[in-house]
Amino acid sequence: MAPHRIALLFNANKVYDRQVIAGIGQYLNSTRVEWDLFLEEDFRSRMRDIHLFRGDGVIADFDDPETEAALRELSIPVVAVGGSYHDATRYPAAVPYIATDNAKLVRLAYDHLIEQGLARFALYSIPELPGSRWAQEREHAFRGIVAAEKVEGLVYQGSPTTAGGWGEAVEHLVAWLAGLPKPIGLIAVTDARARQLLQACVIGGIAVPEQVAIVGIDNDPMAQLLNRIPLTSVIQGAEEMGRTAAHVLHQMLRGMDCASTRIVVPPVGINVQVSSKFQPLRSPHVMRASHYIRQYGCLGIKTEQVADYVGVSRTVLEEHFKRELKQTVHQAILKHKLDTACELILGGEATLADIAVRCGFTSLPYLYAVFRREYDCTPRQYLERHRATTAS
Amino acid sequence: MPISEPTAWGQLPDGRPLHRWTLRNAAGARVDITDLGGTLLSWQAPDRQGSVGDVLLGHADAAAYLAATAYMGGIVGRWANRIRGGRFQLDGIGHKVDRNDGDNHLHGGHEGFHHRRWDVERDGEALLLRLASPEGDGGFPGDVRVQLRVALGDDGTLALAYEATADAPTPLNLTAHPYFNLNDRRDDIRDHVIRIDADEFLATDATAIPTGRQHVSGTAFDFREPAPIGSRLYWPDPQLRVAGGFDHCYVPRGAVGAAPRVVAVVAEPSSGRRLTVETDRPGLQFYSGQKLAGQLDRQGHPYGAFAGFALEAQAFPDVVNTDDAELGILRPGEVYRQLTRYRLDTL
Repeated sequence: MAPHRIALLFNANKVYDRQVIAGIGQYLNSTRVEWDLFLEEDFRSRMRDIHLFRGDGVIADFDDPETEAALRELSIPVVAVGGSYHDATRYPAAVPYIATDNAKLVRLAYDHLIEQGLARFALYSIPELPGSRWAQEREHAFRGIVAAEKVEGLVYQGSPTTAGGWGEAVEHLVAWLAGLPKPIGLIAVTDARARQLLQACVIGGIAVPEQVAIVGIDNDPMAQLLNRIPLTSVIQGAEEMGRTAAHVLHQMLRGMDCASTRIVVPPVGINVQVSSKFQPLRSPHVMRASHYIRQYGCLGIKTEQVADYVGVSRTVLEEHFKRELKQTVHQAILKHKLDTACELILGGEATLADIAVRCGFTSLPYLYAVFRREYDCTPRQYLERHRATTAS
Repeated sequence: MPISEPTAWGQLPDGRPLHRWTLRNAAGARVDITDLGGTLLSWQAPDRQGSVGDVLLGHADAAAYLAATAYMGGIVGRWANRIRGGRFQLDGIGHKVDRNDGDNHLHGGHEGFHHRRWDVERDGEALLLRLASPEGDGGFPGDVRVQLRVALGDDGTLALAYEATADAPTPLNLTAHPYFNLNDRRDDIRDHVIRIDADEFLATDATAIPTGRQHVSGTAFDFREPAPIGSRLYWPDPQLRVAGGFDHCYVPRGAVGAAPRVVAVVAEPSSGRRLTVETDRPGLQFYSGQKLAGQLDRQGHPYGAFAGFALEAQAFPDVVNTDDAELGILRPGEVYRQLTRYRLDTL
């Protein structure tokens, strides 16, 4: 029998869509199902000639209202993938629907911030557009949580992201952030939005996470690359959505009626990084200094520069550090460099010489000397020890 | 870490006193065990933030455990899981054992190991539990002696090492029956993300007796990649409808009887807690807790469905009525051995 010809209609320029497609691939690889897959070469879907598609089935991203409209007349099995709705009447009729649970994505981010000890919250959303109904669902979920828990909760939609309006959008975002009561926990509806928050905090001199703790959604490696401060992010169950969509389509191709199937997939984790590790610090000097060290600690900064940035004398800053962190500013900088180096070593993607330079140790011998002094081993032994403990 | 002195923990209906012991580790975890059924009463473990919470379901007191029907936290024997019709042939002789699950035998019968008082003593860093099961217990032949060594390691591992001998051939299949909920603040385990390292599971009939091995590929039972438990319950799968959820024995990969291998990992996104299960047994029963509704919690309030899940290391259900029957039989001169470890850490 010839393999079924299946169209995957996604705009796979986002990590979420790519993970859904990866999940479909996992399902096909784990079974003996052979599908002849149709995807646009640039992984972007175009709906205008989908009615000409001579295939057996479709899995499509229904967050885009155009997709929903274009597929309505298709007589072959269609499985929809998209965001969940709090109002069940908003789901497309008579199409099986595999959803990411928007309410639980927000809930997971919120619970994480609560556990960090925060008591005030805000959501950074995006302006309402037909293709961003999922963002409105996340807003709705956020408003529901803060109302039910009787805590302060603000929503800011911000501006659309355009090249021309970018400067002004950033100004508005900085102003909004500056005007927020602090400390505060912020949830961004995507990592792309969270990245804008991080950047605006740097511009506005707002300490992350001491004044503003940030959680994004998507766990997008691209957003990580563009930040100095590693971003905490909720991981959607997108691969599981792909596996589920493939399974449902597989059953439909066998003749099962799945028109009323609706499966809502919860998030599968949260990648906890520095951006949300809020620790109530009493000294604003230490807060500002820590923020500066997190951004520039690996660029060879000295105590003087930190004190300059904070705007106090070196002696005053040292006193505050000793009282609150039980260490000197120099030790705090060294700790940041070492933590970063250890993470890179365990990541295994860079050479030791490269790591030495990137973490501000200037040379490989110096990195070795510091490791010998601090950990009583070489960087390589450190890696081996860590591997041994994780394997056992 | 030293194990606590036993403290009084109620009594049996005949007046014999019951006790509770506490195991602690250097990481701040503690496990409470009672001599009633060797039951794991609670397991306090740190979450991602380091705050400690109970990851096990439990009842209020000894009377509640004796009245309940969910095998909550108990050590199950002589035969964990089911025997079809409560009947089997052994060396040409037919045997009838307790039928306490419809027509089938389940978890040792009317008075299983989980409702007995075990003899408990401290043995260095471990707790040693012993039980003598007389001939005819639940209808099974032979005198059986069981010893279970329980230890809590500093890495969060709760190790259960079983040994048993018999003076006549008898089926023997022991397991522990803790119900986990890794999020101590939520009453539902459906958002837990589970991985089970098994290519096959045992499909069952309507009475939960295995009908044969089935490959997990293309089914809701494929957890070789981690997936949330709850959304799988909605996959169109006749085996899920038979059991109202997951209540099936998996066939984990790896050699049986050698060193324990990892068979399952469960992570809970919100608390960041992760449970890893290792065992040397051939089977792993995954029960998603769909029938827990109405069981009473520690405050005496009813649990809801899916309040906890169980991962029970064991021989295959009803194996004594299959061609592999010998795998479920303990003979005089042999020693039954099982090593199962539950490890809790955080992501």
